[in-house]
Amino acid sequence: MAGRMVEDDLFDSILLAEERFRGEGYQEGFEKGTRRGLQDGRRHGAVHGARLSCEMSFYYGFAVTWKCLLRHSTDAKSRKRVKALETLLGLIQSSPIDDPQSEKLRDDMDKLRAKFRQVCSMLSVPADFKDYIRVAEGTSF
Amino acid sequence: MKEALSLVQRLNAHPDSRCWFVSWSPNGALLASCGGDKAIRIWGREGDSWICKSVLQDGHQRTVRKVAWSPCGNYLASASFDATTCIWKKKNDDFESLTVLEGHENEVKCVAWAPSGNLLATCSRDKSVWVWEVDEEDEYECVTVVNSHTQDVKHIVWHPTQELLASASYDNNICLYKEEDDDWECRATLQGHTSTVWSLCFDATGQRLASCSDDRTVRIWKEYPAESGQGESIYLSWKCICTLSGYHGRTVYDVSWCRLTGALATACGDDAVRVFKDDETTNPDEPVFSLAAQVNKAHSQDVNCVSWHPKEAGLLASCSDNGEIAIWRFQEDK
Repeated sequence: MAGRMVEDDLFDSILLAEERFRGEGYQEGFEKGTRRGLQDGRRHGAVHGARLSCEMSFYYGFAVTWKCLLRHSTDAKSRKRVKALETLLGLIQSSPIDDPQSEKLRDDMDKLRAKFRQVCSMLSVPADFKDYIRVAEGTSF
Repeated sequence: MKEALSLVQRLNAHPDSRCWFVSWSPNGALLASCGGDKAIRIWGREGDSWICKSVLQDGHQRTVRKVAWSPCGNYLASASFDATTCIWKKKNDDFESLTVLEGHENEVKCVAWAPSGNLLATCSRDKSVWVWEVDEEDEYECVTVVNSHTQDVKHIVWHPTQELLASASYDNNICLYKEEDDDWECRATLQGHTSTVWSLCFDATGQRLASCSDDRTVRIWKEYPAESGQGESIYLSWKCICTLSGYHGRTVYDVSWCRLTGALATACGDDAVRVFKDDETTNPDEPVFSLAAQVNKAHSQDVNCVSWHPKEAGLLASCSDNGEIAIWRFQEDK
């Protein structure tokens, strides 16, 4: 009885060696891949998050500044512009920026970009956000 | 019942270029055309024939894709691939550039005036629809930018009586917009076409909407009031009540619904112009349209646009990639 089991184990360890090594290799690779994925994901998230909040903060600063510039204007046109700026600020404040997976965030960003384009048209200022960013990068001391 | 579409006149409107669009002025006295030669031409009737009354040359830097008359007939708006929309004011027999509306990121595909004359809508390859307001001093201001489509927006059209806007897109959908507190929002998305929707047209009362597509069909849509028991919904419910398929050999680029006779004309990439009529005896919720007339070689290239005359029943204008405009007469045997 005992003799037969030793024989089986002997052959098993040879025949199943490839499968065992493959299994161990897979496990090792899976763990390494998970760690690597987490690192890549975190880096990607950081970049994406920075881009998103950079854009949103830009609109915020833009709207607050223009509201300030128009605070003494009482004509109908300026009032319409202030109303549009207030809608822009409202969208920013109600946006779930802390939840990157949120559908609402995606919709809000679309609405925000559209509102920004409309406000720029009303104020007759260029609307390309990328232009502003490019200018900032060009600054040197 | 034999009905015929006969040629009245051919105009070499935009030589060596494409003629993209034709539009009759509200009183029908003038026809505006625009093309790949960056120009807009105004045609008027002299005796029995149409002649070129003026050429608006320097308004745009690229192709002029569409032109639209204001409801009063004193203004003309032109949408161009140069990303701008130009507003022209009629001064006697000529037009002068009043203002240029900027804002779209790329090619403007269409411009349309609301029946009230106070609002203007534009749409573009940048996937957005812009609504502009005009005040008494001829100043234009953007009131809304809407991004309901996921692709190039090809055409927009206003409802004849309500403040309702419809748009057609490369994303195969039609969107309907209504105003809510100064902002225009998409209230319905009409799905059904299996390829780019190129053009739209409401019937005389605005109860039905015709759409045409790269999928070689024309669809008729009708509004249905929201089901009772669901309370008041801000969303609109439109259903497709008829599909005309098997008639067009290629992409259908334009559809025009005659406000006087109810006839439906189509412009097709197979170089033909077709006219359909609905059988008045059938159920209005399930109309049956039949082909009333067809001209196979209406032009030597793709037909880009068809437009019914607003006052003279049966008069139809079409234009083509070969730079020509053709005027037709549709005669029904009574």
